[in-house]
Amino acid sequence: MNRQITFMPVVATGLKYVFLAAGATIMLLPFLWMILSSFMTSQEIIARPLTWFPAEPGLDAYRGLRDAIPLGRMYLNSMIVTTLTTLGILLTSSLAGYGFAKFHFPGRDALFLIVLATMMIPFFVVLIPIFYMISRLGWINSYPGLIVPNIVTAFGIFLMRQYMLSLPDEVLDAARVDGASEFEIYWRIVLPLSTPVIGALAILAFVYQWNNFLWPLVVARSDSMWTVPVGLNALRVYASSAQVINMQMAGATLGVVPVIAVFLVLQRYFVRGIALTGVKG
Amino acid sequence: MDVTTAAERALVGQGRVRTGPRVNRRSLAGYAFVAPSLILLMIFALGPFLFTIWVSLHEWNMLTPIGEMPSVGLANYRYLLSDDPLFRETFVNTVYYALGNVGISVVLALGVALILNGPIKLRAIWRAAFFMPYVTAPVAIAIVWRNMLDGNWGMVNGLLDRFGLPQQPFLDSLEQAMPSMIAVAIWHGAGYYMIIFLAGLQAVPYDLYEAAKLDGAGSWRLFWSITLPLLRPTLLFVIVVNTLASLQVFDLPFVLTQGGPVNETTTLVMYMYETAFSFLRMGRATSMAVMLFAVIFVITMIQLRLLREKE
Repeated sequence: MNRQITFMPVVATGLKYVFLAAGATIMLLPFLWMILSSFMTSQEIIARPLTWFPAEPGLDAYRGLRDAIPLGRMYLNSMIVTTLTTLGILLTSSLAGYGFAKFHFPGRDALFLIVLATMMIPFFVVLIPIFYMISRLGWINSYPGLIVPNIVTAFGIFLMRQYMLSLPDEVLDAARVDGASEFEIYWRIVLPLSTPVIGALAILAFVYQWNNFLWPLVVARSDSMWTVPVGLNALRVYASSAQVINMQMAGATLGVVPVIAVFLVLQRYFVRGIALTGVKG
Repeated sequence: MDVTTAAERALVGQGRVRTGPRVNRRSLAGYAFVAPSLILLMIFALGPFLFTIWVSLHEWNMLTPIGEMPSVGLANYRYLLSDDPLFRETFVNTVYYALGNVGISVVLALGVALILNGPIKLRAIWRAAFFMPYVTAPVAIAIVWRNMLDGNWGMVNGLLDRFGLPQQPFLDSLEQAMPSMIAVAIWHGAGYYMIIFLAGLQAVPYDLYEAAKLDGAGSWRLFWSITLPLLRPTLLFVIVVNTLASLQVFDLPFVLTQGGPVNETTTLVMYMYETAFSFLRMGRATSMAVMLFAVIFVITMIQLRLLREKE
């Protein structure tokens, strides 16, 4: 009896680590395999028994990839679209968040309720009308077409408002007494005081837009407008045979590694951002 | 009115303020701050939402002008519900996917979060490992997994071979395709829910545990009578968010399986996408969107109800 009592916690602790180690292995192994196999020949990848390391690590897959899809262009497009969309989201969300949090005007609560209601409209529901609108505007296969429909999110407005409610009124009023205009107050006082929530929203929006697929898939018609996910999908179609698995792995590696690098550097902010969204206001 | 701010009070004290126009100017500033977002939301969310409902009552190929699309009443809905076996199949697939994904990833995410919330070494590293897949593009990881899960030469079969286990068809078989896809979805998403659970667990006051331990409660008892009840809002949030996301899944099946074999993994949004952009049947596609939206709406309402009940 006594022995069991002292023994049990040790077993439990050991089991915890076994569980975590097994889980972490499953999480990381695909990334490891993706990177390793991008340096193999396709024959090596499918060889039995399974080998982990390329006999002669080569860049053939990456060379083939360069000829198959416009990699540089895809990165450029993704950078442009993701950066401008994220900046747009930050601007519209912080303006509206501030307006809803710190001003009193007739109809304010009704308008905020409309914002909350639109939060419930998923993108697939509005895909067809927005596509029609964008095509009527002549924005198919263009940066405005890729960017403009995404520069506002009800979620961003909600997140900003919740945070800005806690900003002290005294500071804002003091600035008014000093003769600052409303926009100056927003730009010079409210935004700097809101950096934590802006950072959280920025990182969530950036990753979401970088990985976004359905909208660029219908709007980016020619390969000169492909974003990284659209180009990778085209690679899957173009190079679906077993002879070019290494090229697919190289493409996936190039698509995934930059995001992982950013994640590892900014991990703390990611976690904080998601924790913020999980806390219901 | 509560718009009398400290600044105005200060100015009133000096006896040179007219409150009326001042209030109006502040109101105008408020409108100006919220206007850009509201206009964009009208154009890109509310307007299109109403347009979707309207189109669902018509037949439209996106080429005929809006004014000339023939009205068909509820024919699109009737067709999908009674004459289209593929709609029923994709609906069942989507529900199957959602139930599997939500059920398993919630349990796993909570389990990992509970362990990481306790005394554990290398916490930050474990957390990063579990969370990492979530930040990567579904398209990219689906390409990796479709190669790893290939029935003939996939790496997972290579591993099974190494351990002397029988080979599996995975994505190539009717029985295993959907479970395989669910497994990939759990791999990709569970870390996100783990982070939310960790945030929720951190809000559980430590004193409660201390008090219960003094009363002689074991760790299961602590979990069932303290952690779980206090985690209820978080749990509800995670289940609903995951369910809604699962019901809308598109990227993963589109790249991992293209819906195959024989539509076994085709989801509703995929079917809607194909109906709209391959067959130009906008009326049917929007009807699907409206029906799936109705399901999502009901789930959201139930969540709000449940949250309010407890408070």
